[in-house]
Amino acid sequence: MSRYAINSVLYRLKKDPEFRARFESDPRTALADADLTEAERAAFAAHDVRRINELGGYLHLVMSVPGLAAH
Amino acid sequence: MGRIVFAGAMSHVLDPDYYQRACGDEGRRTVVACMAEIARMGERFSATRADALIVVADDHLNAFSFNAVPALCVRIGRTVPRMRQDHAEAFDAVLDHMPEQYPLHEDLANQILEQGLASGFDLAMSWEAPVDHAFLSPVNTMHGTRPIPPLVPIWVNCFVAPQPTPKRCFDFGRHIARVVAASPWNVGLIATGGLSHFPELSLPRVGETDTVFDRKLIHWMERGEHEPLQELTVGELHKTGEHEFLNWMVLIGAITPARAQVRYFGELRRINMAAVEWSLP
Repeated sequence: MSRYAINSVLYRLKKDPEFRARFESDPRTALADADLTEAERAAFAAHDVRRINELGGYLHLVMSVPGLAAH
Repeated sequence: MGRIVFAGAMSHVLDPDYYQRACGDEGRRTVVACMAEIARMGERFSATRADALIVVADDHLNAFSFNAVPALCVRIGRTVPRMRQDHAEAFDAVLDHMPEQYPLHEDLANQILEQGLASGFDLAMSWEAPVDHAFLSPVNTMHGTRPIPPLVPIWVNCFVAPQPTPKRCFDFGRHIARVVAASPWNVGLIATGGLSHFPELSLPRVGETDTVFDRKLIHWMERGEHEPLQELTVGELHKTGEHEFLNWMVLIGAITPARAQVRYFGELRRINMAAVEWSLP
């Protein structure tokens, strides 16, 4: 489990609207360069916030990335 | 010779609409009642005409990214902005209506920082970090339309393991008390967050609290029994959802052995809300 990588992506999704827009239109392509495990990548692609949290994503980020928890 | 003239601690998501969405009518009623007590605490604080207000709170992974997470950080400089978040939701949305800029008490912040480094506290410093709801919800609820005195924001890493220990936070509070006592200023001090919520920072457990543990903490604070509080572990706080009590430990260290008076305690499914004030000599 890469706690840094998954939270780094969450932080970018929260703070970088352009990155968030690319993620919304095509999550896998937006995350192509991210240093994520396949399980982490799949969780993001599915907008599975519970799984992202289980994999080490901090709760406050999971809850406050615009639009992420609403899926 | 300076004095701590006011000390209070309180929950820090103070927004009726947020709790209406999260907990329905009971949520709205509870937070409105808690905010009313915090506003009364603010009136008593304003009556002290303090020179500064130290605010001890946590970062919700807003001010600090994962390139650096300070255990204890003092905000220095002359002003501090509130955090800005596009399409803010959840607890971030409570900031939207608040003033964007706040004055800092630069000299007091610098003395806490410099004397801390000189006496064994390896504090981080920031000139740029913005403050989020953990700081600004309580400060604005306390003051309403009255002027807000110069702030000294201090962050405690409550969430990203490994966190500082409760004992370390208490000792840092003792340091703050020494700095204030040696200064020419009368100072207010608040700590924010809690009480129990989000145990183990687990999404499926959002909606659980630990009222028994909350009442144990309150019992010790009311009696001025600060030794058992210093023996708490970060693991206990994580398990019970009491992460933000680390902020309260800084305050308790600063005013020990003063006794707390509970102004408000209300149970909700999502969080147990509290407002506590200390009787100071």
